[in-house]
Amino acid sequence: MNALTIKALGFAAILIIATIYVVMSMDIDLTDRVNAITMGGAIAIAVITAGVSVKYINQMKTDTATGDLMDDNWDGIGERTNELPSGWAYTFLAVFFWSMWYGLIGYPVDQYSQIGEYNEEVLEHKATYEKKYENASPEVLTSMGKSLYFVQCAPCHGNTGDGLSGKAQDLTKRMSKAQILDVIKNGSNQLKYPMGMMPPGMASGQDAEDIATYIAGGLKGEAPASYAACTSCHGADSKGNAGMSPDLTGYDNTLVSHTLQNGKKGIIGAMPSFKTMITPIQEKALAAYIQSIAQ
Amino acid sequence: MFFHWLEKNPFYFALMISVVISFAGLLEIVPNFAQAARPLSTEKPKTVLELAGKNLYVKDNCIACHSQMIRPFKSETDRYGKYSLSGEYAYDRPFLWGSKRTGPDLHRVGNYRTTDWHENHMRDPKAMVPGSIMPAYKHMFTNVADIESAYAEAVTVKNAFFTPYGPEFKRTRAAWEAHRPKVIADAKKIADDMKDEDVKKAVANGEVPEIVAMIAYLNSLK
Ligand code: HEC
Ligand code: HEC
Ligand code: HEC
Repeated sequence: MNALTIKALGFAAILIIATIYVVMSMDIDLTDRVNAITMGGAIAIAVITAGVSVKYINQMKTDTATGDLMDDNWDGIGERTNELPSGWAYTFLAVFFWSMWYGLIGYPVDQYSQIGEYNEEVLEHKATYEKKYENASPEVLTSMGKSLYFVQCAPCHGNTGDGLSGKAQDLTKRMSKAQILDVIKNGSNQLKYPMGMMPPGMASGQDAEDIATYIAGGLKGEAPASYAACTSCHGADSKGNAGMSPDLTGYDNTLVSHTLQNGKKGIIGAMPSFKTMITPIQEKALAAYIQSIAQ
Repeated sequence: MFFHWLEKNPFYFALMISVVISFAGLLEIVPNFAQAARPLSTEKPKTVLELAGKNLYVKDNCIACHSQMIRPFKSETDRYGKYSLSGEYAYDRPFLWGSKRTGPDLHRVGNYRTTDWHENHMRDPKAMVPGSIMPAYKHMFTNVADIESAYAEAVTVKNAFFTPYGPEFKRTRAAWEAHRPKVIADAKKIADDMKDEDVKKAVANGEVPEIVAMIAYLNSLK
């Protein structure tokens, strides 16, 4: 071992210690595989750099030239006729063939596109997602609905679902008296139920007041006599005749779905349609969550 | 001869290299770019009211916190809707892609927010989103939007870039006076969905408060 090797080892040791010191002082988690590999790489670079330098510096001291000097020279600098080192030559050939393959076949046929990758990602996700949540339990649906709600609905309906003091529908209750009076007076035709539109003026005056109070109060107690005009469409139990018209007692799956598909505009404001943004499973999940906060 | 000369003049040598390389670049980039930068067939230029709103978006520097560019990642398209296409920006001068998302992307905000929501939110973001750090833009409810400049802008881009505004967009005061009622009618549609009485009154008097133009622009982002 000559002095140069010892110096190089010392230098490598300093580099390694410096690397470890920096890694430690940065509080890097070495149980994370990627971090451990990165640090291993840094140490390997230090050792290889020192080792290779020593090898070649030593070689330069002792090596003598072999092979015949070529006749040509450039400003007095000559060249010897040695064979190509075989390792270099084989690597060159391998890279040559690989680049031919990559340029002609590998790349153009299998061309990368960002949109293509996106489409694949979406398809793949859809397939696993649909399967995974096809028969999701109510708890899973509710928690999925909750996270969706906080992204898409909370800015309007509020974190608690209360509608931010009258800025959107209060989802913890069904409709308010004022909203019902408005629908009775003006009718409504935006939710696209099989029954079509709700005609305006189905009741008026005191009858309308009584009906609105009754529905807004949660349909408790004796129904006012005039309410019979409504049950023909909304069902004897006011639950909407199995999806033919809106449920007046709560937010059933059909109502949430029709609202999300078509949006609606009422006296409070406008609710946008989420037709392109929410999948059927997500609709069910949102309905499950809304039903859970209404209780 | 030429090559000997070129090899001895590094500056011209570098120049020739860049010419050669740029030529290849032009062949690859320009045809694709020319196609992708065409407006989508569904794309319409902004109305004068929306343009006035767009100018407010620039003036009040919404771009410092908001981007208008939905990237093709599932996490983004789930939240904002379809990823953006370059043809959608063809009439945007300047386009407002932005590069900072302190707040959410707005490129399709018209799909999932409404006039009444914007009204509440622009007046006091915290009332809608607890803890929001977006500034309140109360001044927009009293300042008057510059719809005349917006009209001039529409006429200019029509003449300079052939943006397809109709034949009624002409460089005369009479043309503007004839178009003005349309702008006010657009503004009235927005104001009808708003709650603020002063704004409604101003629009009824033929004035357009900034907030109306701003909301018209936000609603047009689809
Ligand atoms: C002809 C059938 C019919 C009758 C009768 C009828 N409704 Fe309706 N109602 C509907 C339909 C259909 C809708 C959905 C409207 C829509 O698409 O926007 C509806 C919607 C409503 C809504 C709004 C629900 C929502 O979530 O937006 C209320 C409230 C309501 N009806 C109350 C009543 C009351 C009260 C009466 C009796 C005075 C009544 N309806 C009579 C068919 C009817
Ligand atoms: C831009 C604001 C906004 C967003 C976002 C929003 N809503 Fe609404 N929503 C409203 C408003 C405003 C109403 C009340 C409309 C009225 O009757 O005046 C409403 C009403 C409703 C109703 C009652 C419909 C009826 O007929 O009774 C349901 C259910 C509902 N929203 C669900 C949702 C769900 C689920 C989401 C999230 C995917 C959502 N909303 C997102 C503003 C919004
Ligand atoms: C200091 C940064 C900042 C500036 C400047 C700013 N915003 Fe925001 N904006 C936010 C943040 C943060 C949010 C998310 C919280 C919220 O909804 O209030 C947001 C939300 C929004 C939203 C709701 C988007 C959604 O998907 O819910 C709209 C619309 C909006 N900003 C419009 C504007 C407009 C128009 C301007 C310019 C007049 C503007 N913002 C300027 C930070 C900013």
